[in-house]
Amino acid sequence: MTERRTAFGSPAASLWSKISASLPPDEGQFPLQFSDKVPLSVVEMLKRARQELYGGGTTGAGRVLNAQVILDYSWERLNTGTWRHVDKEWRRVYSYGCLFKAAALCREAPSEEGIVQAIRTCDMGLLMGAAIMGNILQVIVCILQSEIRKLAKEEDDQDHVEAKKRKIASSHVGLIREELAVPRIKCPSLESFNANHLLPLKPVILEGIIDHWPALNKRPWRFVFSRSTRIQMNIVFLDEYLRSVAGCRTVPVEVGSRYTDEDWSQTLLTVNEFIDKYILNKGQVSENGHKAVGYLAQHQLFDQIPELKEDIRIPDYCCLGEGDEDDITVNAWFGPKGTVSPLHQDPQQNFLAQVVGSKYIRLYSPEDTEKLYPHESQLLHNTSQVEVENPDAERFPEFVKAAYLECVLKPGDVLFIPVKHWHYVRSLEVSFSVSFWWS
Amino acid sequence: MRWFGFGFNAFAQICVQEKSDKEESSSAVRVPTQLKNHVGRSKIRASWSRTASLFLDEDRRVRLAGFSASISGESLGPAVLDTRGCEDAVISETHLTLAFPDRIESWDLQSKDEAPSWRTEIVHRSQSSDVHLPLVPGGYVASEPPIFRPLPSHLQAKSLALGGGHAILLTAAGAVYTWGQGSHGQLGHGGLIPEEEPRTVEALWGMSMRSVAAGGWHSVCIGDGGDLYVWGWNESGQLGLPSRGLRKTSRQKSDLQAGGLCGSVGTCPAEDPHEEVFISIQAFPALVDVSPTCEIRTVSCGSRHTAAVTTTGCLYTWGWGEYGQLGHQTTASLDEPQCVEFFRNENLHVVDVVCGPWNTFAAAVEKEVLDLKNVPESPL
Repeated sequence: MTERRTAFGSPAASLWSKISASLPPDEGQFPLQFSDKVPLSVVEMLKRARQELYGGGTTGAGRVLNAQVILDYSWERLNTGTWRHVDKEWRRVYSYGCLFKAAALCREAPSEEGIVQAIRTCDMGLLMGAAIMGNILQVIVCILQSEIRKLAKEEDDQDHVEAKKRKIASSHVGLIREELAVPRIKCPSLESFNANHLLPLKPVILEGIIDHWPALNKRPWRFVFSRSTRIQMNIVFLDEYLRSVAGCRTVPVEVGSRYTDEDWSQTLLTVNEFIDKYILNKGQVSENGHKAVGYLAQHQLFDQIPELKEDIRIPDYCCLGEGDEDDITVNAWFGPKGTVSPLHQDPQQNFLAQVVGSKYIRLYSPEDTEKLYPHESQLLHNTSQVEVENPDAERFPEFVKAAYLECVLKPGDVLFIPVKHWHYVRSLEVSFSVSFWWS
Repeated sequence: MRWFGFGFNAFAQICVQEKSDKEESSSAVRVPTQLKNHVGRSKIRASWSRTASLFLDEDRRVRLAGFSASISGESLGPAVLDTRGCEDAVISETHLTLAFPDRIESWDLQSKDEAPSWRTEIVHRSQSSDVHLPLVPGGYVASEPPIFRPLPSHLQAKSLALGGGHAILLTAAGAVYTWGQGSHGQLGHGGLIPEEEPRTVEALWGMSMRSVAAGGWHSVCIGDGGDLYVWGWNESGQLGLPSRGLRKTSRQKSDLQAGGLCGSVGTCPAEDPHEEVFISIQAFPALVDVSPTCEIRTVSCGSRHTAAVTTTGCLYTWGWGEYGQLGHQTTASLDEPQCVEFFRNENLHVVDVVCGPWNTFAAAVEKEVLDLKNVPESPL
């Protein structure tokens, strides 16, 4: 790590001054209020950490250790019982632990690695904790991220990324049967969408409604598909853009072919690690002869990384619902070729917007639920037992009788999946989709 | 008999340490440290922030060390609470339960109430045989309200261990029952579902167990022949079985030391995932080979670590070690039982072990004066 020099004093001091500017000015104005679910001994540890944050008494290592005690204790509470029943107070305590630890890591001339560790700490708080002090972890992680980007810029002078060529092998011709195709409509009015599709709960692909998204025109997400040469020209790789905006951020990744498999698991990786391991397949270790598939699935990436939110928009048609805009859940779905979401249903309306790459999707009506053999267990009751593209006719004889619609969703398409409509999704190439769950 | 403590000490519940400028904070005691004021026989019970000592040779008082109880800062001690004549105690983060010959009381450590939050009389002397905390006549006392929980009498409960969200019960006949949270296999029935009522651990059917212990998410029991059985979560190696999480963290740590960025994606060329089988959750009981030659005499579990004493006086520990609770004078976690050399080096014969969530207390006697007749038959 080379010395960084500026004309305006030590950069390390300015990082800390930015962070402490985002904190309350003194100990007295730093709130530590908890319900009686939190034992007094834990509150005592929190008070000690707060004291160390504003005082100069302890060493950096000592402060980190104190914060770690708070993290370790609350982590144990977060892992006790079911996640749904974990008291929100413990998620708040966990966030405080992350705050104290991140602050301790950045106090005294942190190296790049120290800043990355602090970012990871903030991310853990954002993922597992509950918002505290005006979502201060989000504020601090933004400060830390711009610091990292500054350092990256100094190290790497190359601003222009050359257009690169990447061959694609997939062909979508002949994949869809015309008589089963999901209907497509271009820019319908609110009234006609409401009357013809929302009220009767009929799936449809809306074309042209996200053309204005920066992700699809201004910002370098777009893959330019050249029909004549069948080579994809990337203005800038999607993954390089994501690296620059979010490379060291920690995200949850699903590993395994499908979430109904025994060897399916979830893990936490940075965006860099995820892209290296599961998109670019570097250093991939094959297990059982198959390459493990990793899927950054069902993650509220746009809340975690607000810069990315600027690249998308909430579809206007969501206003036809009853809920507030704040109640709309926006999820990112980013993965390589071959990610599979088993046939399942969701309790809300869904707009699935395709940004990069393409997906094969099949839809079944809730009227045919019995023919889809949902799992009996409460946990998987919304998921079918049937492998859609390789059904076991002996165990699931009625499945072939169920009517369905299918499509290949490509960049610029938005699929309307009505509430409770069963859907199966398989990516045909590296793909980035955004889903909007609304009511 | 001397008691030694090691592990989490942020509330000075093991010993008071001098504040120094050293990096090493006083929140972890790495070297087993003798507890002061323990003369003669005593029992130790530990919660996360406190240690309760019951002195058996004196007037049988309970003394608390660690985090002071009530808001005013006064400690809960003999001045407020008369603990003379106490026979047994259990302590959680919020409650202290005391068993006397004629009554059992459970005190809320966070309130200034001058009365216990729960109390029961022991009417018949014969009932006192039912008292083996947390077992009480008719049921058991829990760590949080409702304090008293009934148990069906047909179970013939002999001893009970309460874990982070589950319970493991040993009957007079040597059978094992579990109930509570099951999400990490800690019930030993082979699945991950919770059980509301005590359910027998069928995998141990036909084998007589003599002792049970429970950690945050794991369960342990000792068979009549001195074998050790474990089940539950192994994320820190607390089962003594190979833990993938442990290998990952140790690789990340050495990456950091080598100056690499956190979370680098190197794969270790020497490690072939096909060779080694890692166990994250063990949903059925598994046998653990603690020491090739010795029987296990007693075992205790912390939140994510396990400690076992052999009949030959060796203390073995394994699992989470971040606060020095394994006693090997490091903060490394282990997924294999390892002997705590400190006691061997000091010529001490370990006779008992009691774990708090993040620390460990071992009772030891000098080897030279060890007279086999004086060694208690069963642990305290």
